[in-house]
Amino acid sequence: MHGLLGKVLQYGLVLWVALSVNFLLPRAMPGSPLPYLVGEEVGTLAPERLDEIRALYGLDRSLGVQYLDYLGDIVRGDWGRSFQLGMPVAEAIRERLPWTLLLVGSSLLLSTVFGVVAGAIAAWRRGGRFDAASLAGAIVVDALPSFWIGMLAIAVFAVQFGWFPTFGATTPAGPSGGVAYLADVARHLALPVASLTAASLSGIYLVMRYSMLDVLGQDYVRSARAKGLSERRVLMRHAVRNALLPVSTLLFLNLGFLVGGATVIETVFAYPGVGTLLYQAVLSRDYPVLQGAFFVLTVSVVLANALADAVYPLLDPRVRRGAT
Amino acid sequence: MRASDLRAARQVLAPRAASTRGGAASIARRLRLPLATPAALLGATLLALTAGAALFGPALAPYDPSVTVAAPYLAPSQQHWLGTNDVGQDIFSELLVGARVSLTIGLLAAFAAVTLGTAVGVLAGTARGWLDVVLMRITDVVLTLPFLPLVIVLAAFLGPSVATTATVLTLVIWARPARVVRSQALSVSAHAYVEAAHALGGRPSHVLRTHVLPAVLPVALSQFIVAVSGAVLAEASLAFLGLGDPLQKSWGTILFYAQTRGAFLTGSWPWWVLPPGLAIAATVLGFALVGRSLEGALMPRVRDHAGRTGR
Repeated sequence: MHGLLGKVLQYGLVLWVALSVNFLLPRAMPGSPLPYLVGEEVGTLAPERLDEIRALYGLDRSLGVQYLDYLGDIVRGDWGRSFQLGMPVAEAIRERLPWTLLLVGSSLLLSTVFGVVAGAIAAWRRGGRFDAASLAGAIVVDALPSFWIGMLAIAVFAVQFGWFPTFGATTPAGPSGGVAYLADVARHLALPVASLTAASLSGIYLVMRYSMLDVLGQDYVRSARAKGLSERRVLMRHAVRNALLPVSTLLFLNLGFLVGGATVIETVFAYPGVGTLLYQAVLSRDYPVLQGAFFVLTVSVVLANALADAVYPLLDPRVRRGAT
Repeated sequence: MRASDLRAARQVLAPRAASTRGGAASIARRLRLPLATPAALLGATLLALTAGAALFGPALAPYDPSVTVAAPYLAPSQQHWLGTNDVGQDIFSELLVGARVSLTIGLLAAFAAVTLGTAVGVLAGTARGWLDVVLMRITDVVLTLPFLPLVIVLAAFLGPSVATTATVLTLVIWARPARVVRSQALSVSAHAYVEAAHALGGRPSHVLRTHVLPAVLPVALSQFIVAVSGAVLAEASLAFLGLGDPLQKSWGTILFYAQTRGAFLTGSWPWWVLPPGLAIAATVLGFALVGRSLEGALMPRVRDHAGRTGR
């Protein structure tokens, strides 16, 4: 009970901090907060329009009242308005979110499968050729900037070989439905997913290998071998199953990393997700969008963490028993 | 680092060092450095190269990278080893001068972050009680927030400059060292000799100075080195997104211009996109390899348990 309450408190705190950062940043800047709330074209607006906006944001009222209003607006789904895009921030994000979810979800799935399998094999054949090669590879890939992997992928596989499109999520004026549409989406998704997977694979691989080495040294694995179980059975039933536990927590925590990676990868491929939205907002100093994107990414990371806490007891009976 | 720690590191390394052959390894052995593994040697070599570029790069650069010296989009030639960029600046010179910017930000941010993290960790680990709870809550909040989006938002508001980038990275990076240092401080404080020091009436500041800090500093050192690699990588991402200082071009900034001018869509990527990325990778890898080796040497239990350092 205490653990659950602590978790809820923790996630509440994270969201509250993210919102407070968003609230305070424009108001802590020197000068008027208006350019930060509205965008830099504020200077071109007529004075009466400015007064309207000032009233809209309640800038004439006390900071405390503004703060409560702000929190209320966020809860009601009013995340401000992007004057540059000419639409509410929440709507701009809603349009982009599915693409980011597709990109991050596919990469999470692929990097988990490959990372777990490679990590398990490496630990099982510890010190062998595969172990040495994959370990060295993982450490090197870990040091590569993910956006750079994406740039090289475009240069080689999209431009040089022409196998994949160089940007976007769909072909403009391309197929709009059916199998042809799905194939088009998949072709556009391939390189961004491959780049993001490459960037996040090594983390999962390293933890799986580490965890598997740990498990293989445990008494119960020795007992399983001693009672004559086949090597395959020892591995699958006893070792891998238990080694997966720490990996499962990492997966959800990895989401924060993936979300950040997606931001730069989407930028490289001009993929129309939240990351590209964030990038365009940076370039045009569209602060309301910037803050909305940051908040929605924080929410998704917190949700993933909460999901991890909910799923973990199902995987690990020891935790389940301890919790009741 | 204190003599006792070096001694411990030496003992751990002794069997490994004896089995390693090769000139550089034997030098490292003689110097009693934890560099006797091939991975650590590679890391140290990469670091030496980067440090060399950061120290002497601006002097060695054949051109001023902020000045147009030739036609734009030139292919590599005798005069311009890596060709020129979209405004006719020498890319090789950009690369050499960029080393200092990238490394300065990385070192500054990591140093500030680990100093802050160590202070928080030691305070939380020795004070315990409510202060510990509060500090660790804050640490966990920072760890949970999505790293890159947070850094992007902060940097966008504060404006692009070297100082901003270093500050913003510090604000986000300190949390991990704080966690690690706290657990080390906790485990040291639990030792009988520290409890004895308390029981004998040693003032908290005295116990802190003579027992806790010496045990914590090696951990902080390895955290620092790991933090540098993280900071260099994060700086590259920020600069790549256009949040770098336009007057102090780092490796990430070079890639930002390469990206906005579509260098990978033309044939110029092998000399415009490839080299800055390799430079970032070499630096990050160098710090990561040395950091991991130090971690293994200074915390033998972690290494033996995990079998991390290349066994």
